[in-house]
Amino acid sequence: MLKAENIKKKFVKLTKKKERIEFYANNGISVEAHDGEIIGILGPNGAGKTTFLRIIAGILEPTSGTVTFDELNYHDNETEIKKNIAYLSGNTKIYNTLSCYELLHMCADIYGVEKKDAEARILEISKTLDMDTFLYNRIGSLSTGQTQRVNIARCLIHNPKYYILDEATSGLDIISSQIILNFIKNEKKKGKTILYSTHYMEEAENICDKVIMINKGVIIDEGTPEKIKKDTKTTNLRDAFFKLIEGDNYEE
Amino acid sequence: MKNNMFNILKKELREMFRDKKSLSMMLIIPIFIPLLVIGMSALFESEINMPVTDYNTIGFDYELTDVEKNIIEELEINAVIDTVENLGEQLESGEIDLYVTKENNVYTINGDDSDTTTYASNLAESYFNAYKNYLQREYLVSHNVLSDEVLNIIVLEENITVEENYFASYIISYAFFFIIMAITVSATYPATDATAGEKERGTLETLLTFPIKSKDIIIGKFLSVSFSSMITGLLSLILTVISLKIANHMFTIYEGINLMLSLSSLIFAVIVIIAYSFLISGLCIAIASKSKSFKEAQSALTPLTFISFFPSMIIFMMGITTTNLYALIPFINYTLIFTDITSGIINYTHILLMLSSTIIIIAVVLKIIIKEYKSEKVLFG
Ligand SMILES: Nc1ncnc2c1ncn2[C@@H]1O[C@H](COP(=O)(O)OP(=O)(O)O)[C@@H](O)[C@H]1O
Ligand SMILES: [Mg+2]
Repeated sequence: MLKAENIKKKFVKLTKKKERIEFYANNGISVEAHDGEIIGILGPNGAGKTTFLRIIAGILEPTSGTVTFDELNYHDNETEIKKNIAYLSGNTKIYNTLSCYELLHMCADIYGVEKKDAEARILEISKTLDMDTFLYNRIGSLSTGQTQRVNIARCLIHNPKYYILDEATSGLDIISSQIILNFIKNEKKKGKTILYSTHYMEEAENICDKVIMINKGVIIDEGTPEKIKKDTKTTNLRDAFFKLIEGDNYEE
Repeated sequence: MKNNMFNILKKELREMFRDKKSLSMMLIIPIFIPLLVIGMSALFESEINMPVTDYNTIGFDYELTDVEKNIIEELEINAVIDTVENLGEQLESGEIDLYVTKENNVYTINGDDSDTTTYASNLAESYFNAYKNYLQREYLVSHNVLSDEVLNIIVLEENITVEENYFASYIISYAFFFIIMAITVSATYPATDATAGEKERGTLETLLTFPIKSKDIIIGKFLSVSFSSMITGLLSLILTVISLKIANHMFTIYEGINLMLSLSSLIFAVIVIIAYSFLISGLCIAIASKSKSFKEAQSALTPLTFISFFPSMIIFMMGITTTNLYALIPFINYTLIFTDITSGIINYTHILLMLSSTIIIIAVVLKIIIKEYKSEKVLFG
């Protein structure tokens, strides 16, 4: 089980007059994700989704709050946790000078996949993601969609328990996005836990078990898509979101 | 996952050897070494072996006797007789290299500060020595004294073995400064590429999600940069040795001396080069990883190129010798010890001090960077 409690993250930003002011990009966000669950993190640009997922993935340290994976925390078990995570964002870059095959081998080595299993696993993943035609080409020579498939392959190589996906479909065409969405559904079936952020509300509605809506670093509503629609008396998450921030605006 | 450092090292080396710019930085700079060695030797040689016709035109403001004319002919002097005023003008325009004025028995050699005057005045001195010798002999003979006995009252012979050749030590030291500079310049590029470059290309975020300790990341990167600068250093050394050998045969200034380093000198020179490669790679990685972008890193590293050889050059020109303290000071210790090594002095204490100081500096620098690599400053700073 993945558990994030009351995550706060303070950043400094510059105003017009070059004054430094502190603000919270995350201001007390909590999430609990059980095995086999897909949790959607929804919110507009600048809501704090990336910040939150980076904290979960151990790239950023929270200003306060705790993150645990099956009772393990980053302070004491960083590499242990990271071995069980795959992190992928829409603008994740990978090494252009390596071939897909070399990259996958490197990842297998880094994640400690047994030498004898690695080879078979790479070929299997390549088949599943339809990568055979460009497996031995340099990543720099691939198209965006192909690159993103290599990225998924890299995430699969160590058979992680948790996937942290930050706008993984943004900027992709519908076919490439569908490949990613299928991959998410497949992994869920295998009992994997997926934390998934997007600003495409419809996409989330289809695949998420639970949704967390955030705006300006705080949760404005959470629950199953059905519950949120009921809460806001709307028929889809997009309208629900607008309704939720409308209230926020009145309060201001 | 003890071998994650090797995974990083492997990845870095792969990237480096596939990047044309990294490769050319590694391999092209050493090519300048033969140019430097041969070029500087040629320059020295042309200074030393100036043909006599370049500086043998000497003016006189008085009529010469037959005796004087004979000596002048013997010394291949090209005499010009004219008035003082004209001679002054001719000196200025470079038609003559110096001129001699005479008042009773006082002769004055007049010249300017040009190279040719220096050479010409040596020639004029030889001339006056010969002339004086002649006059003294005449005087003694006319007074019935055995002139040879007086004139050769003492006999001076020279027996100086030319082991320490000024040019040889100069050329070897300059080649070394160039090797140091080549290593420095060639370390900056891969160090920038592996740190600020990885940040700029956006792959650092991915790297930080891998289950790798920052220690392994930094040490892997450090070793790959060290490897690259070592290749530059060793290639430079090989080219130095080859071009010294060629220069040795080609130029008369090195006649009678052996520019070749002995085998043990070579081995210790390699040790110095390897130590320096590690040091500079550590410093470059440290500085570059604190920079936001490739450009910023490159400009932050530029001063290092000067620091790497400038103090050493001054120390060399001042002729300072190695002490235990100097052996500890980075940058100048490598030059001092290299100079010792090439002149056959191998002082193990100094070498050990140099190695210890190198190791300590690298350890401290890397430790600081490893600590910082955990924080988000690396990614967003
Ligand atoms: N490293 C950083 N330093 C300062 N401010 C940041 C940093 N990262 C993000 N922010 C700010 O935090 C806020 C939330 O950003 P982000 O988490 O990227 O939002 P989202 O992913 O939902 O679009 C934004 O205002 C952004 O400008
Ligand atoms: Mg984002």
